[in-house]
Amino acid sequence: MINELKDPRKVFGEAVMEAALENQNIVVLSADSSSGSGLGNFPAKFPDRHFEFGIMEQGVIGFACGLATTGKIPVFAAIAPFVTARPYEMFRNDLGYMNQNVKVVGRCAGLTYDQLGSTHHSLDDVAIIRTIPGVTVINPGDPVTIGKAVHAMLNHLGPCYMKIGNPPMPVLYPDDIEFRLGKGIVIQDGHDVALIATGTVLSKAVVAARLLEEAGVSVRLIDMHTIKPLDHDLILSAAREIGKIVTVEEHFLAGGLGSAIAELCSQEYPAKMKMIGIDDLYASNGPYEQLIGKYGLQPDQIKETVIHFLTNK
Amino acid sequence: MGKNEILNLEYTALNLRRNILRLIRAGESGHVGGALSSVEILTALYFNLLKIDPKKPDWPQRDRFVLSAGHKCLVLYAALAERGFFDKSVLDTYGALDSRVPGHPNMHKLPGVETNTGALGHGLSIAGGMSLGLKLDKSDSKVFVVMGDGELAEGSNWEAASAAAMHKLDKLIVFVDRNKLQISGPTVEVMSYEPLEERWRSFGWGVRTIDGHNLETIIDTVNQTPFTKGKPSVIIADTLKSKGLSFAEGKVSYHYWKAKPQELEQAEKDLDVMEKLLKTKMEEIEL
Ligand SMILES: Cc1ncc(C[n+]2csc(CCOP(=O)(O)OP(=O)(O)O)c2C)c(N)n1
Ligand SMILES: [Mg+2]
Repeated sequence: MINELKDPRKVFGEAVMEAALENQNIVVLSADSSSGSGLGNFPAKFPDRHFEFGIMEQGVIGFACGLATTGKIPVFAAIAPFVTARPYEMFRNDLGYMNQNVKVVGRCAGLTYDQLGSTHHSLDDVAIIRTIPGVTVINPGDPVTIGKAVHAMLNHLGPCYMKIGNPPMPVLYPDDIEFRLGKGIVIQDGHDVALIATGTVLSKAVVAARLLEEAGVSVRLIDMHTIKPLDHDLILSAAREIGKIVTVEEHFLAGGLGSAIAELCSQEYPAKMKMIGIDDLYASNGPYEQLIGKYGLQPDQIKETVIHFLTNK
Repeated sequence: MGKNEILNLEYTALNLRRNILRLIRAGESGHVGGALSSVEILTALYFNLLKIDPKKPDWPQRDRFVLSAGHKCLVLYAALAERGFFDKSVLDTYGALDSRVPGHPNMHKLPGVETNTGALGHGLSIAGGMSLGLKLDKSDSKVFVVMGDGELAEGSNWEAASAAAMHKLDKLIVFVDRNKLQISGPTVEVMSYEPLEERWRSFGWGVRTIDGHNLETIIDTVNQTPFTKGKPSVIIADTLKSKGLSFAEGKVSYHYWKAKPQELEQAEKDLDVMEKLLKTKMEEIEL
């Protein structure tokens, strides 16, 4: 199932360019960040619709808000922490509270800026942005769904935050996969455990599910590409039908996908849960695959965690 | 300063460039452009100006150095290693899992590192707080900061600049490494803050502009601070990005260098040429 690798930033940039050809209202804002976001060709192709601001992320959020009030659809992509943690209040007030149609994209998210350390890791973006009422939070897990998420986000009216990684990602889906914001994708059905993954580590969960099947564990594997609004139906049916849920994300345990699912299940239909992610610490630095291995996010580690979860009451 | 003394510092600057290359050889890539443009500034600081003791990195009376543009960390690691804060073998771990020399500096991993920078636009406020605290303690310690010219677009810097002037922090000394480039192109085309001199002056700072690769000038200029009593000082250092690498100097694409083997070889040769020039100079002095 896992085959070709594609650069997520390139896929993202190409999808934005494609959409911009159709929709004249799409404009791109850069904080010295377009070239690194797969949008290096945008200024040449749409010189009037690309605005460079230099390294001033907080102000760019404000400019994006103002542009949106005039009917433009601003896209602002930069390194994830610098469009979320840094301008958080601008995001909350100018995009959230004012409910403006701005698309913020955090790239090189999670631990994918591996060597660059905690200032450049983004393990809290989902946690903080999903507290803002009205903001859609999208975290696609393969190149095909990144492309589809871009179009879905641009067609959606309202503020959006989308995150993408950095290293090339395996293609998991055929081109005609149906993608709808707020609707998770069941990759395979099963009855022993629901494995719910999001974003950059979806491909790790896919391999883990195969390893688990080989070990005789039947896995319902779900791609939760939209974290807000959360797909209540899909999660609650897993809680009801299986009762055991393991979440996988390249994010802090506090406030991420696992948290969001726990918030839902604990009130609607309590299920036994295990959350795989980064616990309360500043992540280290190192080559990406080794780094996520340090935090238990490699397929064999996910498999072990699931087996341990299923066998220990 | 004696000619000999300056020449020795020039040798040290060369060693810093060699250390930077050593880091890149280990990690295969890094923010080399802005590290190399700041080599002379850090050489002057760590080998002449800073009141520090590598054996007592936490000595309360030390001068502080804040690398606000944290991505320039290669030059900081190069200087700290050369000054003896840690063994040079640490440089060979750059890029490895849990390395003590990550892609941005971490004070909890390495002695001599004062701040966890990397997100631009934090250093000046932190340095301002350090300077304020030292002033409260009646200490005569100075606080030095290195910033990038592209970094100046972060509004937080200008909040800090105003506050430092309001609080009369005249032991606070900032270098702006004006290498005229950032990621997307020339700084004046991306987001210009020129004329820098007038901007800083209007924020209440004493201002000088110098050749940021001239060690003697850097030292003389710092020794004249505060330029105006009661005001913080900023030194606009005109520099060349990637200084020392023939194939990379002044090129925007070497902000972050993914080093090819031939380039590493050429870099080595470039530094050998530099060393020869210094040797000739040394012989002339000795004659
Ligand atoms: C808040 C923040 N935004 C963006 C970045 C990404 N970034 C790293 S270096 C850089 C350009 C810096 O240019 P400049 O300050 O001129 O540094 P130099 O030329 O000395 O390398 C950018 C945008 C960052 N590190 N922090
Ligand atoms: Mg610069």
